[in-house]
Amino acid sequence: MDGPDRAQERLQARAPEMELIREAQAGSRAAFDALVRQYEQQVLRLALHLTGSEHDAEDIYQEAFLKAFRYIGNFRFECSFYTWIYRIVTNLCLDQLRRKKTRREDQAVVVDHSGDEIDVLASVSDNRSFSNPAKELDRKVLGERIQVALSKLTPRERMVFELKHYQGLRLRTIGEMLNTTEETAKNTLFRATKKLRTQLAGLR
Amino acid sequence: MNCELAHERIVLAAYGELPDEQGHELDRHLAACTDCSQEREQLLALKTLATAYPVVEPDPNFIARSRMRLEESLDAIPPKRWYERVGQRIVNNFSSLQAAPVAAVLLLIVGAGAGTLGGYEYAAARTAHNAGRAAAAQAKLEHSRDTAPAEIANISSIEREPNSEIIHVTYNQLVPQHIQGSLDDPGIRQLLMLASENATSPGVRDDSVGLLAAECRAGHGCQGEGIRDALMVALRYDKSVAVREKALEGLQPYVAEDMRVRDAVLEALLNDGDARIRTAAITILEPVEADTSVRQVLSTVANSDHNPQIRTVSRQVLSRAPEIQ
Repeated sequence: MDGPDRAQERLQARAPEMELIREAQAGSRAAFDALVRQYEQQVLRLALHLTGSEHDAEDIYQEAFLKAFRYIGNFRFECSFYTWIYRIVTNLCLDQLRRKKTRREDQAVVVDHSGDEIDVLASVSDNRSFSNPAKELDRKVLGERIQVALSKLTPRERMVFELKHYQGLRLRTIGEMLNTTEETAKNTLFRATKKLRTQLAGLR
Repeated sequence: MNCELAHERIVLAAYGELPDEQGHELDRHLAACTDCSQEREQLLALKTLATAYPVVEPDPNFIARSRMRLEESLDAIPPKRWYERVGQRIVNNFSSLQAAPVAAVLLLIVGAGAGTLGGYEYAAARTAHNAGRAAAAQAKLEHSRDTAPAEIANISSIEREPNSEIIHVTYNQLVPQHIQGSLDDPGIRQLLMLASENATSPGVRDDSVGLLAAECRAGHGCQGEGIRDALMVALRYDKSVAVREKALEGLQPYVAEDMRVRDAVLEALLNDGDARIRTAAITILEPVEADTSVRQVLSTVANSDHNPQIRTVSRQVLSRAPEIQ
């Protein structure tokens, strides 16, 4: 009984969203603002984790929603709005990763909008290590090493790994977002895990 | 299952993307293959390691700040004009055809069919038009070559511009026309009546009067005065005996009912120069021979006609009259 109930809930949840999209397409700014509020947290979370920089994440957020506002008339309900907005965000993130790759900026820490470093790991509660400062430090170092290893991946491998491992999306959805097939996304994930294992071989 | 495939499936299994039946197959392979087991251990270790760089929920202040900046940027964008929205809607509607391939194909077929038919009609009309134009041009060319001098009916005026070689000539031109239609057609009848009076060729007058007379004898719409008048004019004034004879025949059915016709026939009996016409007139007058005016004319003819046979016939008719009375 759980399945049909959840499907109905999803439908009920989507109905007002479709209405909002139609209104936004008709030029309603209020409807678009409502859509922004629905997705902004997920967009910022993805951009922040991918770029490791609040500043870059905010830029991606800005650009993504401005693009969405400009091109919402092109949205034809062929996919979910979630996939559509994620497609815009992942494309902008890929551009950002490519630029970073060119600059060879291997940032190991998250930088906030004012340029100050944030201790990402310190902000996350961890039942295994909260009472042990030594373990906490180890974990922080480990996190930085992971970030470095992730930055060695190609932008596309990084994106697929991010969407699969950290955001928990299905490979099929990832394929849709990146305008590719599920098979290609699968192969990219396989390559990414292989490279990461090589990078992090001595850490275990 | 080989190890290479197993490595791929280990990744998929670790991320919950491997179908159940393949998962069972993988488990059996891992139970027998140490290398692949190690591979799985390493991958699971990577998964654990990766959690050391966790996904952080964005700070509410960070979200609020980003939203404010976005709203400022959105406020700066001018609202779309109505024609931009209409254009967008048209583009969307057109693009939505991609989502309905059957409809798109049908539309294409209908469009192609209509286009072909339209093209065919256009081509046919154009061909006919061109053929008509070519024929007209050819006819005009031949006509101008053969009958160029005859086209000028008359010259109305000739004026010379002062101190110039330029001459203004005003002239009337005869333009040959052709029409076809039923004898009952008023237009055709009008032309026949004109032909019976004015045609220069006796043959044309003969034909037209013959046709009009036949119509009258057959009782086809000859009740009006137009055709009878034309026949009476032909009977009185046409120089051709054959034309007058046909007109007389055409007037025969109306001799009893129409006094004007009777007078015209009597005039012919008295004055026509041809004996055949006068003889025919006597025959035609038989139904009204008891009429006073007819008897007077018959009497005159019987006494004074220079043709003995006509005099004899007149007398015979007059002699029957008392019997009739």
